Amino acid sequence: MEKIVLQGRGVIPGIVEGEALVCADSITGWGGIDPKTGVIKDYENINKGKSIKDTILIMPGSKGSNGWSCYFGAARAAGSAPKGWAFSRIDSSAGVASAVMQIPTVVDFSKEDDPCVRVKTGDYVRLDGTKGTLEILKTSSQ
Amino acid sequence: MIQLTKEEQDILDGREGRLRQTALENIVRYAQVLGAEKLCKVTKATVFCGNHNYLNVCECGDFHDVFTRMNLARDERIVFDSVDKDCYVQSCVAASDQFDYEIFDQPKEEFDKNSYYLEESRKAGVTIAGSCSPYLMGWLPVRGEHFVTTESGVTIIGNSIWGACCNADGIEAAFWSAICGRTPYWGYHVKENRYGTHLIHVDAALDSPLEWEVLGKAMGKRLPLTGCTPVLTGNFEGVDFVKLKSFFTALAITTNCRMCHIVGITPEANTLEEAFMGHEVQEEFTLTEKDIRTAYEALCETEEGSVDLVSLGCPHYDIHQIKEVADYICGKKIHDGVRFMVWTVYPIKAMADLNGYTKIIEDAGGTIQTSTCPVTIGDCFLKHYKGQAYDSLKQSGSVRSDGCAERVYYTDKYRCMDAAVSGVWKEEYRWKK
Repeated sequence: MEKIVLQGRGVIPGIVEGEALVCADSITGWGGIDPKTGVIKDYENINKGKSIKDTILIMPGSKGSNGWSCYFGAARAAGSAPKGWAFSRIDSSAGVASAVMQIPTVVDFSKEDDPCVRVKTGDYVRLDGTKGTLEILKTSSQ
Repeated sequence: MIQLTKEEQDILDGREGRLRQTALENIVRYAQVLGAEKLCKVTKATVFCGNHNYLNVCECGDFHDVFTRMNLARDERIVFDSVDKDCYVQSCVAASDQFDYEIFDQPKEEFDKNSYYLEESRKAGVTIAGSCSPYLMGWLPVRGEHFVTTESGVTIIGNSIWGACCNADGIEAAFWSAICGRTPYWGYHVKENRYGTHLIHVDAALDSPLEWEVLGKAMGKRLPLTGCTPVLTGNFEGVDFVKLKSFFTALAITTNCRMCHIVGITPEANTLEEAFMGHEVQEEFTLTEKDIRTAYEALCETEEGSVDLVSLGCPHYDIHQIKEVADYICGKKIHDGVRFMVWTVYPIKAMADLNGYTKIIEDAGGTIQTSTCPVTIGDCFLKHYKGQAYDSLKQSGSVRSDGCAERVYYTDKYRCMDAAVSGVWKEEYRWKK
């Protein structure tokens, strides 16, 4: 397959690989996930019932309550955090969550490289928080 | 590269103790993620104290251990024993009512643990207020003042109505700022960033707080999730603070929007031109009464059935809203088996006692509660009530996400009270225009 490398800004270093979980409508803050299991509870979420644990979680940014970061921080404490994550565009709640989580993080992609559009749930990807890249290694349809 | 003042560098070097050092380390880390170049001083903060449910992932019972791990994101033990001397720090809602636990089927040990957490925070310098509505107690940042809050509704109200400056930080960052008195100079803390991006024409008569609230939801569904500062135009005759707080709270939880100009109403939007500050309109659309009706349809259960819990007051009610409840419920009786609660903050409850509103509500069969709210208490309370009615989009939406009720109804406070009296949900209680 054609090599697809999306370029953003790397803000927390580290290289991780895993299955992408794309939440193009983000995840609602405060109660959107069960921190003990990482399972998405948000009643409006397309990925409701799936777990963020050990995924490469891809979102446009945060959504909803200022309590957004603490549920991800609690997931980290419970061992249910994603391996790494990418935000189409950084915002303050996602910034706090990234500072807390300390997992490889890439943010601020161009419109053409928007990972919420280019990556599909189930794609196998490599996230490089130093170079600021998100590479699709295998698509879910392959 | 972040430019620090000498005072900030001293804190970062540990000259003012490990607590302030860690708080500032986290603020610097946060600033680097954002791409900020400097910090600014914070003079008001609300922080999320108490034994909240998400903290239960830590099995340790020591407050300072839990605080360090969850709020400071460190694996050592750092004692939380001070806040910045120049910052007015007040607590947000806790995990328990100030005095009651049995009424919520909450175990006494949970209530006691919550009281212990609050006491440790109080000793550190946090004034225990227990409210999502700190402005009810005079916590009011003025135009240009930098503040932090754990409340999304207070963030957007502060930016939009008061012209004060705040980003949607988060629970951890609010503590960091309260402790070291700094936040990244980024986003809405920078005057030049406070310009409008999207122009929304409101072609609807907005008569009640519920209509403003559903407008917030309808608008949020049309806006991009990130990076927008909407500007509203329309005929907003009769608007007041209660309507605006309902609107802003709904908008904040539907998107991550944390500032919204309303032309002719909010202080940085005397004119359309002033709101956009010379920037282009990225998108323009009109919202009508049909959009508001459509948004409402998705927010309220259609199935009829028993109503077992009716809760009013999210955000916490002011004294006039409680008076309106007392005036309406006076002489009526809450149906047997229905739990009817009105939520506010402790000083407002004292005013309700003084004015006889508490007695009227209690004579009808209800109660006034303080310091928390149903979804913050959580499952131990909510799981006992199959049918629940709320006058708040935020509460009803959270209960639906938690899945701890079979039917969740959302309507205005008067129809909520009708449901509390009849004990059943009827089609006529749905909001209609």
